[in-house]
Amino acid sequence: MPNLSRRGALKLTAGLAVLGTLGLTGCGREDDTAVAKASADPIDDSPATGTVNVWAAQGDADVLEQVIKPFKTANPDVTVKLTLIPNADYYTKLQSAIAAGKGPDVAQFFPESQAQFLDASILQPVPDGLVAPDSFFKSLWAAGVADDVAYTVPWYAYTYALVYRSDLAKKAGVEAPATWDEVVPFFKALQGVGARRGLGADNGWDIFNGQDVAMYAWQAGGSLLTADGKWTLDTPAMVDALKYNASFFTSGAADTATPTFLDAQPYFVSGKTATMITGPWVVGQLDTAAKKDGWTASHVATAPLPAGSSGSVSFSAGGSWGVLAGGGNADASWKLVRYVSQPSTQVAQYKAYSSLPAVISAWDDPAIKDQPLLAAFLTQLKNTRTFPQVSTWQQVATRMGKEMEAVAKGTATAEKAAANIQSYAESLGTGAK
Amino acid sequence: MTSTPVVGTRRPTRRRAHRTAVAWLFLTPFALVFLLYTAVPTVAALGFSLTDLRGTDLRHPLAVDFTGLDNFVRLLQDESFLRDILNTALFVAVGVPLTMVIGFALAVVLNSGIRRLRGTFRMLFFAPVVTNVVAVALIWQYAFNANGTVNKVLGVVGLAGPNWLDDPNLAMPVVILLGVWRNFGIAMVLFLAGLQAIPDDVYEAASLDGAGRWRQLRHITLPLLLPTTLMVSVLLTVFYLQVFDEPYLLTNGGPLGSTESVALYTYHQFGAGEFGMSSAASFVMLVLVALVSLVQFRLLRSRV
Repeated sequence: MPNLSRRGALKLTAGLAVLGTLGLTGCGREDDTAVAKASADPIDDSPATGTVNVWAAQGDADVLEQVIKPFKTANPDVTVKLTLIPNADYYTKLQSAIAAGKGPDVAQFFPESQAQFLDASILQPVPDGLVAPDSFFKSLWAAGVADDVAYTVPWYAYTYALVYRSDLAKKAGVEAPATWDEVVPFFKALQGVGARRGLGADNGWDIFNGQDVAMYAWQAGGSLLTADGKWTLDTPAMVDALKYNASFFTSGAADTATPTFLDAQPYFVSGKTATMITGPWVVGQLDTAAKKDGWTASHVATAPLPAGSSGSVSFSAGGSWGVLAGGGNADASWKLVRYVSQPSTQVAQYKAYSSLPAVISAWDDPAIKDQPLLAAFLTQLKNTRTFPQVSTWQQVATRMGKEMEAVAKGTATAEKAAANIQSYAESLGTGAK
Repeated sequence: MTSTPVVGTRRPTRRRAHRTAVAWLFLTPFALVFLLYTAVPTVAALGFSLTDLRGTDLRHPLAVDFTGLDNFVRLLQDESFLRDILNTALFVAVGVPLTMVIGFALAVVLNSGIRRLRGTFRMLFFAPVVTNVVAVALIWQYAFNANGTVNKVLGVVGLAGPNWLDDPNLAMPVVILLGVWRNFGIAMVLFLAGLQAIPDDVYEAASLDGAGRWRQLRHITLPLLLPTTLMVSVLLTVFYLQVFDEPYLLTNGGPLGSTESVALYTYHQFGAGEFGMSSAASFVMLVLVALVSLVQFRLLRSRV
């Protein structure tokens, strides 16, 4: 082979690039709607065999190994390999693994941001009769359905509510705020009796914050997407939502710097912060943070979210499971998913990690029913909406989180931020083809 | 009579062929790794950058639409990408000289005064290079927290420390500082090797002629170190142009995008499922790295 001159190398590279590109364009886009209609064969009751590779995000799945022990005992010939991936990188890693054809058999998803995966080329349809769709919270099941085909099975459910230090509220002589107007005065009152900050705000400025502001926009009477699939994110309701969130920081009731995600509970327990707008899992974890059994019962209360002009609306979220289209052991994979979605398993998961069941009947278990602090979450769950079921929602919500930061830190007006979110969302579209 | 030339030409040919075969044999592992991990992904990225490949097209990446230079146009219209280019330029403009100056100063000190403890110091200064960056970043994060070590130390002398990593003006200096801290060891070791290659008798002759330490540094050390300087500067420039670990681990590009580099932008776009945009951004980075390295080589080589 002759020595390759620099010009020759350039030509070769350019040629390969052009060939690659022509290869890409020549194929054209497949007709996606045609492939997703069918559902998989029913799954029988015989024991599961083989190996099932499971990927899940750290957090609720930390206890999964322990929760599925009975499944392994009942199915001695199955090996479940569980890989936990840090939350922040989870979808990135999953996406690249799927793209490379190296994905697991079963993967955890988040109903609030999974729309991008609901495609027959990525996930297998849920087999007929595997689970009863109406046994789950409606919005969570609906989050896994695209073009009338269900791709995911709900696992746990959550929504946000107000978790606050009841001892400090009693000392200050205040009650949980019922409306937006009462929120900052409430935070300030708790600050007045010793808390360093009235609210321990989450300040990752990412998708989760974006979801918060979406929830506030609903409370202010807004919607995020029109019925015919157009983004409506620069509405007066969105501006109100951004201002409402920023008021926590500009009033001094919350700090833009701390606590970070992991610090949230220790800060709350030590009284550095007095309120959290958060999910139900904290209720079961505060005793551990306080290193004292019974601390939560005597120090903490919960309340539904303060209502905006359109009421106390929150979002439905949680976890779900899907079996990948490229997975090798579909039969055992679905058997595992079916096991995890059973009411008794969901109660076990609640006991292990306080993840509230996505199966409605599991809420009747005394372990959950007898928890007074969960009452506010139950009330709130009855008044939830689903985030837009479009594949670009995750990106839009992340952008909302970033814009919220600018408003909270005073470098952009709420109007400008709302306009930015809208133009960004419009440039992305909804992912519908 | 006629056979002599035949033998004469066949022998060297066989030897040459054998040598070429051996050369290819030794080159093959590198060539394979290069093809697999550099050439193919580069060409693929260029291809992807000309399409609208998104997360939703995961399973049929060969069925996406060709969009030409759309992604590049979008990139140039994306304020955050332009800001990230400036951020990256700042990393290079501040990080490279600072790393080189510190590395060089330490190398000179180690090369002259404290010969007995040279090994210990060399190890000490090189430690940040080999320390796990995740662990280091975590420690830095705690150190520069609002209630962190740095502010506690400032508190001792009566200063109220700022919120380093939450302030868009202060986060970047901290991130650059972490980069410099991690890299000055490499610069130091390379400079030290360069310094030790300069023969002692050159300095002896100079001091006999009455040249002081400063003049020796200016007229002997620096000119003779030019090849090393070139290498260090290119290495560091390429590194800082691709800087990822430090901003990712310390601030994830925040606050308000003030520490997001081009590499981090690429990663974030990929994470958001924008594979086409991500590939386009990575290609812009590749071109930037190539251009800057070329200019550096041209500029410095003429003086070596």
